[in-house]
Amino acid sequence: MTEQQTPDVHSRHFRAVDYGLIALMIVPFLICIVLKVLFTPASEGVHISGALVFLEIPFPVQPLIISESQVNSWGVILSILGLCLYLTHGLTAKAVCRRQLLAEWIVEKCQKLVKDNMGEYFSTWAAFICAILGLSAFSSLSCLVGLFAPTGDVNVTAGWAVLVFFLIMHYKFRGGLWNYFIGLFKPIPVFAPMNLIGEFSTPLSMAFRHYGNVLSGAVISALMASALGGLSKTLLGWLPGILGDIPYLRVGIPAVLSIYFDVFSGCMQAFIFAMLTMLNVAGAVPWDEWRARQEKRKLRSGANVTTGKTA
Amino acid sequence: MQYLDVISVNIWNVVISLCNLLLLTWIVKKFLFKRVQKVLAQRREAIDADYAQAQTAREQAEEDRLNYAAAMAAAQQTSDQIIADASRTAEYRSNEIIGEAREKAADIRRQAEEDAKLERKKAEADMRREIADVSAQLTGKLLEREITEKDHRALIDSFLQEIDHDDNE
Repeated sequence: MTEQQTPDVHSRHFRAVDYGLIALMIVPFLICIVLKVLFTPASEGVHISGALVFLEIPFPVQPLIISESQVNSWGVILSILGLCLYLTHGLTAKAVCRRQLLAEWIVEKCQKLVKDNMGEYFSTWAAFICAILGLSAFSSLSCLVGLFAPTGDVNVTAGWAVLVFFLIMHYKFRGGLWNYFIGLFKPIPVFAPMNLIGEFSTPLSMAFRHYGNVLSGAVISALMASALGGLSKTLLGWLPGILGDIPYLRVGIPAVLSIYFDVFSGCMQAFIFAMLTMLNVAGAVPWDEWRARQEKRKLRSGANVTTGKTA
Repeated sequence: MQYLDVISVNIWNVVISLCNLLLLTWIVKKFLFKRVQKVLAQRREAIDADYAQAQTAREQAEEDRLNYAAAMAAAQQTSDQIIADASRTAEYRSNEIIGEAREKAADIRRQAEEDAKLERKKAEADMRREIADVSAQLTGKLLEREITEKDHRALIDSFLQEIDHDDNE
């Protein structure tokens, strides 16, 4: 690794790599925009629908659909990869770049967040939580450049929620399958169906909350834009010629709404999703049962050792 | 091209999304967290090393200070010893010198006394001779007769012995 010695920040090579990484951050979005422009059919009026389908491949059970949400997700991933590489380019023990401070800030904040909400045991989860935050926030914010926000597609958030569901289950089973099964019938056996539904409702609610918020923001934005256009036409349509056709009210006002629905709501939902992930996973570990099992296992292995010795 | 419905569930898209999150987790872990944590660990190591170095330097300084103080105390003691020795030697020497001087003075005095005694004896003898001469001449003239000097001397000696006898008595 070249990080041992101080990199020459002003060297031509260093700069060239920097520009390449910055391009890696931006180009994916440009490609997504170009794709969207190329594939979008000409349409009139308000159009509220899901993602644009680029490709449909026949697959077992359901056809594999490569839509805008998938392509934009990959664009976001590439962009985040570029950001990570850019931030960590030229790291040194003595921080010489301002970007290093940002990188350290991100890492330390995520670690602190995870430690505060999940405890010391889950401290290695910081990268996962950081990935959720980054992917969700960047996906939601991608609508600022006119792209379809991947988080507005229920399949995307459902995928994340399914992963979280697996993780929750993984930690719940730590207390033993039998203990978990008994736990479903507590406090009284009648509760069993509700407990079972509760297990599945957690990821479902997480997926739909995120998806619904982003999609509703997009819908409201589209409706507002169209309504403002109509209002503009009725109020200022009397202006002569082409002047009357320009939707004046659509200038500026949707941007203000977008600050709330796209920027604020997008970041908020990313944070909420990450928070719920942390709390649900950390809360899923049955510490007492797990410790009891470990004790038992240790005892058994100890017994095995002693019997092996005597034999 | 067509749009998806607002709500349309597709298993493969869910799987793709799940894999996307895993992929991004791997990317963030490998390219951001690992690198930053490595650098932070390096920094911590460097700081620890600095602290250890400062600690050893402080200990060294403290040791040097103690050594210096000990050396200074030893030097003080040595100098005291030297001064004491020197003063003792000086005292001894001065006593010696004074003694010598006293002795020499006594010698000189004794010598002087002896000299003076000798001188007196000589003077006495001279005087005796003078007196003898004078008296011989006087008596010669007085008696108008010549007596041998030998007889005269004997006469005076007897006379002087008488005087001595008188003095001794």
